[in-house]
Amino acid sequence: MSTEHDGETTKRTLGRGDFLKLGALTVGSGVLAACGAEGAPEPEPAAQGSTEKAEERPPIESEPGDLEVFEWAGYEFPTYGGKGGPLQPYVDAYGKPKYVFLTSDDQAIGKVRAGYRPDTVHPCVDYTGNWVEMGVVQPWDTSLISNFKDLEPALVKGGQVDGQQYFIPADWGFSSPLYRADKVEPDGEESWTLMYDDRYKGKISWWDSPLENFVIWGYVNGIDDPWEMTDDELDEGRDFLISKKHLCRNFWSSQTDMDADFAAGNIWIAYAWGGSYTGAKKAGLDVVYSDPKEGRLGWNCGFVLIKDTDNFRHAHEYVNTWVSAESALWNITNYAYGMANTNLDLAKIDPDLVAVFHLDDPAAREEPRAHYARPLTTERRAAYAQRWDEVKAA
Amino acid sequence: MAVEAQEVAKPTPAKGVMRRSHSGLATTGLLAPPTLWLAIFFLVPVVLILLYSVNLFSLYPGGQYFTLDAWKDFLDGGPFLQLFWKSIWMSLAVSVIAVVAAYPIAYYLALVASKRKYVLLLLILAPFLVSYFLRLLAWKVILGDQGVINSFLYWTGLRAEDDPVTWLLYSKFAVVLTLIYVYVPFVALPIFASLESMDRRLLEAAADLGASRWQAFRKVTLPLSLPGVIAAFIFVFIPTIGEYFTPLLVGGVNGTMFGNAIADQFGQSLNWLNGSVLSFFLLLVVALLMGVFARYLTIRRVATG
Repeated sequence: MSTEHDGETTKRTLGRGDFLKLGALTVGSGVLAACGAEGAPEPEPAAQGSTEKAEERPPIESEPGDLEVFEWAGYEFPTYGGKGGPLQPYVDAYGKPKYVFLTSDDQAIGKVRAGYRPDTVHPCVDYTGNWVEMGVVQPWDTSLISNFKDLEPALVKGGQVDGQQYFIPADWGFSSPLYRADKVEPDGEESWTLMYDDRYKGKISWWDSPLENFVIWGYVNGIDDPWEMTDDELDEGRDFLISKKHLCRNFWSSQTDMDADFAAGNIWIAYAWGGSYTGAKKAGLDVVYSDPKEGRLGWNCGFVLIKDTDNFRHAHEYVNTWVSAESALWNITNYAYGMANTNLDLAKIDPDLVAVFHLDDPAAREEPRAHYARPLTTERRAAYAQRWDEVKAA
Repeated sequence: MAVEAQEVAKPTPAKGVMRRSHSGLATTGLLAPPTLWLAIFFLVPVVLILLYSVNLFSLYPGGQYFTLDAWKDFLDGGPFLQLFWKSIWMSLAVSVIAVVAAYPIAYYLALVASKRKYVLLLLILAPFLVSYFLRLLAWKVILGDQGVINSFLYWTGLRAEDDPVTWLLYSKFAVVLTLIYVYVPFVALPIFASLESMDRRLLEAAADLGASRWQAFRKVTLPLSLPGVIAAFIFVFIPTIGEYFTPLLVGGVNGTMFGNAIADQFGQSLNWLNGSVLSFFLLLVVALLMGVFARYLTIRRVATG
């Protein structure tokens, strides 16, 4: 973490302290900055990642309210939930947030690292450590999130770093091959090897993500720990992927594009999330969401809170709405993703979805049937990423 | 211009000097903002990228020391250098085809269309009223497996319905085709301008001296329009080497270009060191090419003008 960053944090904290002492609730940010610049003599202990408690925060009315959410496409109001859906209460109370879309966790980190500062971001849990390491996020004040108590404890625990809740779990799901049942005949048992099947040259699409393609290769080849491969194993994986990449039509980076290609018949087999399954079904396609013998991949995403956000309370309100039980029901019904909110009646959900995504069978979400994404150090991530770039450039 | 000013200056030297210093001030005043702009937003970033590429600068400092390792890895003939050559070939193909395709259009506009030429010129530029993204999506609709072309082939029975022409979309072909489509109007403009400004009496003279139309074109029109042709070529070649968006949308696995690799290094892989090497290398090559082309252009002008 850079010293520059710490300096910045301290300055802003001091500014806020002054602001409260003066009790001048309507003072503009210009004055605020001036107070900080004068060097108000109230040194705060430079405790790493210490939460500023809610009571020290100005009330929600005095925040700018222009909440900016760095979000996956499809999770934004009104696409997510529709008008009158689960996000409507937030929009009614505070207005529609501004959305900027991310296409992968790595891309999101890259953008924030380059200086972009939204208020809250929707990364996946295995990247939480990297966000904290970058020094751009702060812990949530869970007392401001009334739905927090309903969230699955295991997922909640997964979102903690050094005992602080840096990550509020929201959605989880599988990654698995999705294929056209009318065009594709798996060779024997359901397997990830379908992604490398020569018979379907030009009809396959891998996800353009540095990690997963190696992890899949790792599980297919019985690598000890596909989430912690050695450089030699990665080199071997890279060579294999290069030898198979000609089978792919493309590497998809936007789910919307991939769904469109799937619907247009340009691709028949794809690495896919649950939403692509329901989307293809709705488009009238005969599709199978595979249960490969090597196990599905699993993911769990949620929200992190950007340090120094001006919309601290708005961000909490927004996330609270997002992880509500209503939101969970909508998400499962429409995108076939699971949700951290356990306050859910399975009877209200399409039995096909319950079966395909094993919503009634918690064991299907655990090893060895599903492999949840695990945290990687920045160094290991870079090793995977470098080789994935080589695959793409080759 | 300079000669004119001197001539005016002769009878009243005092006034002339005043005028000259005045205009000198005006020149400085006019040039300062763009120069400053370029310095801040072009030169400084370029220097930063250069420093980044030898590990002397980083946004998140930690263990900065001079090293050429990233440069060596790149120049060692790894996948990125190969990708660079591939990109060069692709943009060369795009540039040559676009120029050849645009020449007749420019010729028609400048020498045949007479009164209607500006209306027609506007028509050529009309596609730019639609966002590039939408036009690329339209190409996807045309080139896809169930797209316009393949559907037509199924309809005529030239291809079976389960055997589409797949190289139309998500391929090098798709990238080259869409890039040509985008750049033809751009390319037509400089050629049009050079043909427009050509002295028509030269053609009459050629005819008087017994040249056929083809001979007149080969010996008079074409050489005179060469500066425009070269400018047009540069207009396409330079920006397409670093092309990013088009290959991303229609390139698929094989249509990837150097620009995509740079974007990945900065975005997905967070390897800014490597990304800086790739970007700076691209910049060097482009600058070199510009230098060569510029030289050729001036010689040509001297030779013909």
